[in-house]
Order: sequence, then structure tokens, then C-alpha cells
Amino acid sequence: MRRRPFGMPALAMTAMILGAVLMAYPYIYMVGSSFKTRREFAEDRQSVVPPRYQVEQLLAHARGEESALDWPGADWPVWQNYVDAIRYGHVERYLSNSAIYAVIITCAQLFFNVLAAYAFARMYFRGREVLFNLLLATMMVPPAVLLIPNFLVIRELGLVDTVAGVVLPAFAGAFGIFLLRQFFLNIPVELEHAARIDGCGGWPILWHVILPLSKPALVTLGLFTFMVAWNMFEWPLVVLSNQDYYPLTVGLSFFRDEGGADWPRIFAASFMGAAPLIVLFVIAQRYLVGGISLSGMKA
Amino acid sequence: MRPGFFRGLVPYWYIAPAFAITVAFSFVSMGLSLHASLHDFDAFVGSTGFVGFDNYRRALFAEDSYFWLTMRTTVLYVIMSVFGVLITAVPLAMLCRRVPRGQAFFRTLYFLPSITPGVVIALIFYHLFGNWGQLLDRSDTALPALASLGVWAGAGYNMVIILAGLADIPPHLYEAARVDGAGLWQQFRHITVPMLRNTLVFVTVMTIISSFQVFTSVYIMTLGGPERSTEVIAYTIFINAFAVAGQMGYASALAWLLFVVVSFFVFLQMRIFRSRSVVD
Repeated sequence: MRRRPFGMPALAMTAMILGAVLMAYPYIYMVGSSFKTRREFAEDRQSVVPPRYQVEQLLAHARGEESALDWPGADWPVWQNYVDAIRYGHVERYLSNSAIYAVIITCAQLFFNVLAAYAFARMYFRGREVLFNLLLATMMVPPAVLLIPNFLVIRELGLVDTVAGVVLPAFAGAFGIFLLRQFFLNIPVELEHAARIDGCGGWPILWHVILPLSKPALVTLGLFTFMVAWNMFEWPLVVLSNQDYYPLTVGLSFFRDEGGADWPRIFAASFMGAAPLIVLFVIAQRYLVGGISLSGMKA
Repeated sequence: MRPGFFRGLVPYWYIAPAFAITVAFSFVSMGLSLHASLHDFDAFVGSTGFVGFDNYRRALFAEDSYFWLTMRTTVLYVIMSVFGVLITAVPLAMLCRRVPRGQAFFRTLYFLPSITPGVVIALIFYHLFGNWGQLLDRSDTALPALASLGVWAGAGYNMVIILAGLADIPPHLYEAARVDGAGLWQQFRHITVPMLRNTLVFVTVMTIISSFQVFTSVYIMTLGGPERSTEVIAYTIFINAFAVAGQMGYASALAWLLFVVVSFFVFLQMRIFRSRSVVD
């Protein structure tokens, strides 16, 4: 090893594993509780080991005894909370709303940010510096402060309680433009000159030269935008009142209010809301973690 | 019209959509809310009369104003978060570097809360805090509980940033120190801390800015209670704007007051952000 370890590696390992348990526990609790029946959860809120009832039914089934699994039309009881969440909790609709918002926002953000970033990186026009600084300055107003003000804009535009009202403010962002511009600036200009000599104009150059070379930056920004859009809560909460348009985050927050909340079902829905991003993150984290530490983005 | 006039406009077409969106949802919206803050304003009816600075006066000086109380609660939350983040993320990052194997696994696991919807995290901890002794039901433990949730959720994110800072410290500094007989504490005190200063300032300022805006956990878990002990400013703004009729103007005034407070830290952050990007 290049450097003397700080304390023993074994000590570090122990501490990190303890920390890992602390990080994982809430997730295990969520998943474990999501498999309990309502009664099991009421009797025992603490344990994360699932589903005494389900295990019993399963064992009974295996032994050939009477079991809930044999009831006509019985759903696989282990999945019951998930099935119910989708069937009665509108989770299916909420999930697809979340996906629709996230996809629209990601596509729009990539498209408009690329255009602006390319202009700021490669074109010369009057007021470029002033406009770019103005753009950066828009980042200085924090989101919580903007909640009411942006609602007033959406209200003026008559977009309250519409899909457009939810997605429009996220169609472009100074941060994304900044990130892409930095990346574009590092692409050798000679490549563009060569393309120009071959008879390419502005748009084809952007499309055929710049973008293929910028894949890492585009993937990072795209994933990041998707995650932020999927997780957004306050903004749709403020803009929407029609339940049919709720993303999952807002839908979940209203589950809690319904009298005698069915918590195992809420946990099942929560897990379905968190799982897609966890999968996406695990697959694509090399694009994300690097970008995050580079620039201080925050989900 | 001189030739090339339209071609000269091309760059502006490239930036126009992005520029319109970002400016509309920052400067224009802040302008609109400044206007609203000077009126009696209702979310559905609109303005019902100009009142000058009455909304601000009400927030800052009125006998029954909760502004100072909520500001105090918010600042307490911010302070607890900053301390919590610094005493967890730095040791975590240093430990993570010493782990002989599985670094990537730990980084992934610790990072999960950053990509989990805040609503989901709040719903889980609503129960966990209940299981651990009704922490949310007592006015002396509710706010620390929420702050610790924030620290838990941000631990991986801050760890990743500090890991990057640690990786930038040239190894030969440690080697030289060891040759001179410096112990581990001396290496930490005289090399790691000074070399990590910018990163720590960055993490601190980012934590301050984001904690000033805390909303989701309060909205899901405590609704500002018990006894207003967790009513933070973002929650007050939200309630006044959308749960009380006709208080949109007042809420806009509160949003502007929050803006003024947070701006100070945002300026700091922008300076760091720019200096970092130059280095990159």
C-alpha cells in the first residue's frame, strides 16, 4: 500500500460496516413492513423480519395443509400490499405520471440546454458575456424561495393544475447549460474547422460533431435531471389539485392523510417509487458520482 | 437591411428558449412576487388592493407574528445540520479511503438517500422515530430528530465530495511529514485539515443553503408541531400561501425575507463554485 493506513484497515472496515447497517436499516424496514399484513403491522411495528402470516401460509401450502394460497382467486399473499397499492391506491397512475414528467423534463432540458450551451461556447455575439452572467445569476435564487413566485408566474400563464405547469419551469436550467458549455469548450475547435471545410454548417456540426463527442456529459446531465424530476415534490404539490395528475411523491403524501392509513400498503407504494431510481443509480453510478463530486450538484 | 443581419441573429435563437425559461422562473417570478408582497393577494382572486409594506411590517414587527419564531427554529435546524454533517462526513470519508475493499459498495449504499424521494424517506422515519421513543411527539426532541434525518440523508453526498477533496491532496505531503516524524494526528491537523479547507467551506455553505429550505420532512412528519417547535420558514410560507385564503401577499413577503437571508450564503457559494470551476 502506498500510504500507511490511518489506524488499522480492520477498524475502518468495522466502522464502515456499522455505518452501512445504519444506512440500510430504514430501507430494510420499509421493505420488511411492506410485506406485513395490516394486523401484523399494528401488533408489531418494530420488527423488520417479514411476514409471519405469509410464511405460515406458505409452509402450510408446502405441507399440503389448508392455506390462503389455495383460496379461489387468491393473490399471492406476499404481494398483496403491492397488488392493492396498484389496484386501489392509484399507484400505477402515479408512477406513470412520475415517469412522464421525468421523461418530458429530461428531453426538454437536454435539448434546450444543448442549444444554449453550444451558442455560449462557440458563437460570438453581442452581449454574450452579459447574458451568460445573467444566466448564472438565475442559480442564485434558491428553490424554496421560488416556490410561491413561480406559482405566480404559472398562475399568470393560466397553467395551474396542468401538466405543462408542472414541467415548464424545469425545461432548462443554468446549471446544465454551465456544465455542457464547460464540456463543449474542451472539444478541439479543429474538429469543427475540419467539418466546416467538408461543407458542414452550424446545425449539422452540433448534431454530427459536438454531440457524439459529448455523450458522457449528456448522460450525466440526463440522468441527474431525470432523478431530480422523479423526486420533485413541493412544486407539483403546489401546482396540482387534480389527483389524476399527481406524481408518486405527491400521491404518497396524501396516502398518509387518508383515515386509518394502511401503512404496509404505503410502504409497498413507497418502495415502488424508490426502486426505479435505485436500479438506475446502481447501473449508471459511474456517470453520476464523478459528475456530482466535480460540480457539487445536489439531488 | 444589411446582408448577414439574419445570420447575426442565429446565436440568439439558440439561447432564446433556455434563456426565456430560466429568467421567467427566477427574476420575473421574483418580480411578480415582489409585486404581490405589496398587495393583499389571493391565489385565486388575485390582488385585492395595494398595502405598501404592510406585509413586511406584519412579519417583522407585529405582536402575533410567528416570523421570528420560525426563523429561530430554522437557524437552529441549520446549526444542528452543519455540525452533524461535519462530524459525520469527514470521518466517513477518511474511513472510506482506508477500507481495504468494498469502497464502491459503501459509496453506493451511503449515497442511496440522495436519490430516494424525500417523501419516502420521511414516511419511513415517521415510524422509526416513533419506534425509538416517540421522538416526534415531544417539542424538545422533534427538531433534533428532523435534523438528524437531514444529516443521515446527506451523509453519502457529503462523503463523496470530501472524498474528492481528499484525493486532491498530494501524497508526497504525507510522506514528507512522516519522514519528519509527524504522527497521525499531526498529519491530520497540519496537512489534511488545511488542504481540505476549501472543500469543507463548500460543504458547509451547501448544507446551510439546503437546510434553510427544509420542507418535505416537516410537511410529512410533524406539520410544524408539536407546539410549533418544528415550524420552519419554508413551511410557514407554504401554509400561508396555500392553506390560508388571501395570504399570498404575506407569503410572498416571507419568501422575500427568506431570499434576503439565504442570498448571503448563496453569494459565498457562487464565489466558491466559480473558483472550483476554474480549477476544473
